[in-house]
Amino acid sequence: MAVIAALSLFAAVPAAAQAKKIITISGSTSVFPLETQLARKWIKTKKGKKFGFRILQGGSNVGISDVAKGRVSIGASSRDPAAGDPGGLVFTKIARDAICIITHPSNQLGNITAATIKNIFVGPTFTNWSQVPSAPISGTIDPIGRAPTSGTHDAFRNIFLGGTNQSSPPVAAKASNGLVQQGVQTDPQAIGYVSLAFSSGVNVVNYNGVACTLRNAASFQYGGVRSFYFVTRGAPVGGVKKFIGWVLASNKANNIIGTDWVPLH
Amino acid sequence: MRRLVGLQKAGPRNRSDQRAELLLGALACVVLVLIAGMIIFVFAKAWPSFTHNGFDWFSPWAGGSIDEELTRIFESPANPNDYVYTMHAWPLIYSTALITLGAVIIGTAFALLSAVFIVEFAPPAIQKVLEPVVRLLAAVPSVIYGLIGILVIVPFVGNHLISQGAKDSVAGVVGLSGASWGVGVLILTVMITPIMIAIVVDALRAVPIGWREGSVSLGVNRWRALWTVSVRAARPAIVAAAVLATARALGEAIMLSMVTGSVGFAPNPLDGIIFFVEPSRPLAATIVDNAEGLSVAPFEQTLYAFASVLLISAAFLSFGGWYIRRRLRRYTLSPI
Repeated sequence: MAVIAALSLFAAVPAAAQAKKIITISGSTSVFPLETQLARKWIKTKKGKKFGFRILQGGSNVGISDVAKGRVSIGASSRDPAAGDPGGLVFTKIARDAICIITHPSNQLGNITAATIKNIFVGPTFTNWSQVPSAPISGTIDPIGRAPTSGTHDAFRNIFLGGTNQSSPPVAAKASNGLVQQGVQTDPQAIGYVSLAFSSGVNVVNYNGVACTLRNAASFQYGGVRSFYFVTRGAPVGGVKKFIGWVLASNKANNIIGTDWVPLH
Repeated sequence: MRRLVGLQKAGPRNRSDQRAELLLGALACVVLVLIAGMIIFVFAKAWPSFTHNGFDWFSPWAGGSIDEELTRIFESPANPNDYVYTMHAWPLIYSTALITLGAVIIGTAFALLSAVFIVEFAPPAIQKVLEPVVRLLAAVPSVIYGLIGILVIVPFVGNHLISQGAKDSVAGVVGLSGASWGVGVLILTVMITPIMIAIVVDALRAVPIGWREGSVSLGVNRWRALWTVSVRAARPAIVAAAVLATARALGEAIMLSMVTGSVGFAPNPLDGIIFFVEPSRPLAATIVDNAEGLSVAPFEQTLYAFASVLLISAAFLSFGGWYIRRRLRRYTLSPI
């Protein structure tokens, strides 16, 4: 849902100080909580206090098209660069995020393989839990996914389905991570995919034998990891360059990323 | 409608009257221009989607999965010559019609009976409580109904009302998780009925008491007098209420996006009782669910095409309502 929540951040400095330069960001709703925290921290640093932020949401594709048209300084994207993207854009990877496969708490499925996921979400070949290896329950599978416009859908397709589109119907195309989580919580036969931050209250299934945790995602053992990007038109310059440089290099930024996401190093 | 033309001509024209007249006229014109501009804008945006698909856009026989078609449109290459537009919106149109008609038909019946009860049969004490409650209900935001639906009704239907056999019978075609057009109709009915009750209550109250007294004095009982005189005289108001409710139902997006299952699927009446719990996402909910894709030009045009179909439906609806009310007004004094 493209709820555009505007958020302005201003550093607490005396009004006598010179007018601050504003860095504008728009884009992915998944990256939004991360970039907000990063910006809050940066404007308290020595370099950052000359700048202010204006941060908008709207979705990865909104961010990419905004930055390409010069409407914002940084576009936030939770998906990889695509063939159809406008030319001249530079994608700077700032963090990683894990996508977890989830089921209802009563369905303590331990592990799922890439082949099984593909059989459930594409075709579908598997329509009953009895077809899924080592599934503790039987009955129809209710696959729940995301709408085609979401970055999570794009990442799920590229990482888990090998580039094939999910078959819908029967896969439900929900509008947000939260609706997928809620749908899986209330339907014992459901299976869905969400960002790691939305995996509470459900059974998180191991993917190819590896648990979906921050630690495993950071160590590259977990396969379902996607990247968050800051997108700029051409190489970043000025304040944007300083901000992105700080996000990539500083320990403070790394600590913020490490709370719910996977730092790059 | 009687106008004041004669009066105006008789007296000398008052300057402040003239100014007010001009101002109000200008405001009315601005509104008209805005509406016309909006319609032109939406249609100009939507045009490529209609021209590329022709009649298949609306055709029930075109086939294909609407969600997969939307995915392909969203993934169009950047070159405008290679834009993908192929799309057959029938499941969405069918779903919109099914949910809207279902809710309006059930809602009208409920509203009429409740209004009759409130006006004619309810003791004054109950009347005093019922009327404010009904008006309050009419003002509840739809997202609250959506939350109740998704947290309470959908899980209940999915886990207690749908048998495993029913789920198996459509496995692989569509998932029966409880989120369905039937639940959508149920909640939508609850949403639109209060406003209809309020309108019909006002209309029944406006029927001159003498008309009913007359029929009762001729020996007709209370129920029959009500049905043949009051309700008949209130028919234009009932139509007006139905039109207003239909407009709200047509445009309802958030609640339906939450409870109807997020699947572009045309429920099949031949499936028997399962038909009512099959998921089906209407046009307005599709726009809300996919608004993130507005940055892709052909996808934006497709969403505008959905919007223009809703606009046209709303226009026909108010025109139809106006025509029916004009025909019925011959038998009534009702102001609406």
